[in-house]
Amino acid sequence: MSEKDQYRNRIELLQGTLDMLILQTLQWGPQHGYGIVQALRLRSGDVLQVETGSLYPALHRLERQGWVQSEWKQSESKQRARYYRITAKGKKQLASDLGRWERIVEAIGSVMYLKPEESES
Amino acid sequence: VKWFPSFGFQRRKRELQEEIDAHLQMAIADRVERGEKADAARQAAAREFGNILLVQDVTRQMWGQGWLEQLGRDARYALRQLRKSPGFTITTTAMLAVAICANSTVFSWIDGTMLRPIPGARDTGDLVSLQRGERSFSPVPPFSYLDYRDLREQNHTLAGLLAYHHDWITLTGGAQPERAYIANVSANYFDVLGIKPMLGRFFLPEEETRPDAVPNVVLGYALWKMRYAADPAIVGKSIEVARHPVTVIGVAPQGFVGAMPGLRQDLWITLNPLGTNVWRMTHRSAGGAVWLNVIGRLRPGVSRDQAAQDLDTLMHHIVAAYPDDHLGENRITLDPMWRSPFGANGYMAATLPILLAFAAVVLLLTCANVATLTLVRFVARRRELAIRQSLGANRMQLVRQMVLEGVILSIVAGAAALMLTSWTSKTFAWFFPANANPVVLNGTMDYRVVIGIAVSSLLAGMLCGGLPAWRSSHAPAVEVLKAESASISGGSRNRKLLSGLVVAQIALSLPLLLCCGLFLRTLRNLAGANPGFEQAPILTASVGTNIVGYSRDEERVIRRKILDRVSALPGVKVASFTDWIPMTLSHKGEDAYPEGYVPHPHESLQVYHAEVSARYFESLHIPILEGREFTPDDDEKAPRVMIVDQTAAKRYWPGQDPLGKKLMVWGRPFTVVGVAKNSTHMLMNESPEPMVYMSFFQQGYETIVQVKAEGNPVDLAPAVENAIHEIDARLPVFDVRPMRESTQIASSFAVIESTLAGMFALIGLVLAATGIYGVVAYRTQMRTHEIGVRMALGASRVDVLRLVLLQGLWITGIGLALGLAFALGLTRIIARLLYGIGANDPVTLVSVVMLLGAMSLLACYFPARRAMRRNPVSAIREL
Repeated sequence: MSEKDQYRNRIELLQGTLDMLILQTLQWGPQHGYGIVQALRLRSGDVLQVETGSLYPALHRLERQGWVQSEWKQSESKQRARYYRITAKGKKQLASDLGRWERIVEAIGSVMYLKPEESES
Repeated sequence: VKWFPSFGFQRRKRELQEEIDAHLQMAIADRVERGEKADAARQAAAREFGNILLVQDVTRQMWGQGWLEQLGRDARYALRQLRKSPGFTITTTAMLAVAICANSTVFSWIDGTMLRPIPGARDTGDLVSLQRGERSFSPVPPFSYLDYRDLREQNHTLAGLLAYHHDWITLTGGAQPERAYIANVSANYFDVLGIKPMLGRFFLPEEETRPDAVPNVVLGYALWKMRYAADPAIVGKSIEVARHPVTVIGVAPQGFVGAMPGLRQDLWITLNPLGTNVWRMTHRSAGGAVWLNVIGRLRPGVSRDQAAQDLDTLMHHIVAAYPDDHLGENRITLDPMWRSPFGANGYMAATLPILLAFAAVVLLLTCANVATLTLVRFVARRRELAIRQSLGANRMQLVRQMVLEGVILSIVAGAAALMLTSWTSKTFAWFFPANANPVVLNGTMDYRVVIGIAVSSLLAGMLCGGLPAWRSSHAPAVEVLKAESASISGGSRNRKLLSGLVVAQIALSLPLLLCCGLFLRTLRNLAGANPGFEQAPILTASVGTNIVGYSRDEERVIRRKILDRVSALPGVKVASFTDWIPMTLSHKGEDAYPEGYVPHPHESLQVYHAEVSARYFESLHIPILEGREFTPDDDEKAPRVMIVDQTAAKRYWPGQDPLGKKLMVWGRPFTVVGVAKNSTHMLMNESPEPMVYMSFFQQGYETIVQVKAEGNPVDLAPAVENAIHEIDARLPVFDVRPMRESTQIASSFAVIESTLAGMFALIGLVLAATGIYGVVAYRTQMRTHEIGVRMALGASRVDVLRLVLLQGLWITGIGLALGLAFALGLTRIIARLLYGIGANDPVTLVSVVMLLGAMSLLACYFPARRAMRRNPVSAIREL
């Protein structure tokens, strides 16, 4: 597969979903930036590719908002890296983000799968 | 970290770098593990990561501290832009520096005088000076001791009330006698002012009126340092004042020079130190007992009006209890120290704020000029701005950057102005010629001046950077880039702004020029005016007969000897005595009760007075209209006689013969023996006050020898001084100078006004002329192509000339019209300061308008001539 094709197979992240995805990733344990990219890629089956140009600004913004905390730690491969951990406040935010997401999916779904006869009634 | 955002910023920047490095390392490690070669893995990881710098940049913006870094970056960019055009940078910085310096200089003078009325005193804003009777521009001491004491003890609104009286005295006992300004003060004098002694103590309440065999004295810092060599053990030592031994009890701290703004007191003593003031301490009447200047400190929370009411009520009670001692008007009014009529601040408050307003106009004018230049520069740079805009810079960023250029210019200008002002603030003293008062007037350079400079330079920066920046950023990038190819000038909106700025410059410089013209003509009128006496051949010399401790009889003998000796000197036409020199900003005043005269309610009975000897009027060429002049026989044994001036005669005895009428002064009747023609007392533009002359040998206090010379009066000075010293070598002789020199101080404020207004007007004229030249030249250059086309189509050179001239003249016309309206409003403020000329003097007005019009015509003519002479072919080619 050429790189262009690869790119086409990915889905542009919806506005506001990146925060939710990062927080969700951190639910499974503290992780560094590279780890978050890898985790999202693996779990989405290579579909979601987070741009570093979006990831790091997002992480720093989340930290400023108090939804994640960071600390410098050694990784298993002896690499010193900055690990992000979700905070209690972040968990609350995640729950509300998730709720909102579900409503959007539902709303979009009901538009997309609308049966013709229902629209007439 | 919070306190030093830049340190935290550097640390976080490092951490971000490390975080991104770690990311890349892990990505490379993963790829190598999957079997890629190290080089290929590194490249792939970097490619995958993307633009590292961009990622860092965007991430940093999330920190909310990026503005600091952005500001630094913008500042660097602005500096680079300014370095690229050194001509613009240097010119505008210099113009702004001069304009800011004009403001800060005048402000430093205000700061040193009106804002620091009593150096060293605590909270001078709470201090008020008391005036009794009709308000006067230069009042004499208004209170007797008993009145003062009643006010002090019975008021409910003051935290303290002090009183003082000052005069010259001679310090004897050292190798060299020395004249010093001494003040008799109430015991609470230092306490009310909030001054703590540097050495020893100040006066105790029981010492206030108590005579002592050896009185106590407090030395001023400068006197202690100069005459007593800063002796640290001076307290308790005995020194000599006017040949009386006194004991030093304390030394005042450095910087404190007394309670009268603008005058320096050298030492302080109680109110009745020798017991010679007993009469003054026990009487209320105007017969010499009214001798104290009084300053109060308001209680916290009490307003000046409340205190005035309180004191006025008290004064009413006093007047009711002692009506005979308080004839005439007795209303009490209070003034804050910054405009207190006692001392220099009355004059300052009338002059300096107006000059500051002029300086502000100069600054505005300069801002308009710099804004014009900046706008032209931004128009020239519009391509650069458009490109940056299309590359993603938003308008805020562009405006910020352009404003920053203006702010940087003005900060540098402010720094230059700061350095200049530290010198110019001290030039204030130059305006005050040598005179008989211990004047200490100068500007100061303190934090208030620095804040003033900072504020005005920032405002200037915003004005001259902000306006053009806001305008330039409005140009849509696409059109600018397209328009560039068609060589259109900066757009009609820019053209309007440019014209508006030039109109503003002309409109602002016209009032400056007009005021300058009025002040200069005032100065000329003052110099040419006839004060009513002839001063050119007169030399005066003060002799300290009253301040060295002679007895009355000794003094009388010495005075006679002096007159005889000086009269006999070769080159002396007439010698006489006086105790006052007119037009030296000082005068003596006393309440006088004319026989048979019923004063109007609230009329002040105060008259100016002077004690003069025989031949005084002759030597000054003041005509005696009726009766006679004084003779040597009008001495202490003869009946008291008086000569009144026309004003006094007309006021007190209208339609009657004043000769033979009587006037009570100091409780004694004086018989009028002559009427003198009016002459100037204080200032040329004063309203005439009644003046009475008394015989020197009956009432004279200070001794001033007045000599009419045959030639130049200066040449007589050494001979006169020698003649006096031959009589008694210990006699202090001082202030020996031609009368013309002494009276210069009366016009010193006119000199200050016209000097500054002249400089400001010159700046205004140059700025307005260069402003209009710059804009017309610029716009003509922008229209070169159009002019070429016009000429190719048959327009004559005269047509081109008219085209260019007309656009400049339109601007000039509008500017002049606006300026005229502004000027006529402004001159009303200075009307009080003018002499011999109306505030709307048509001649000055017309000549100023013509001058400004001619300058702008000239400024338009040069670009017009250049355009006219262009070869149309090359003009068309020029895009």
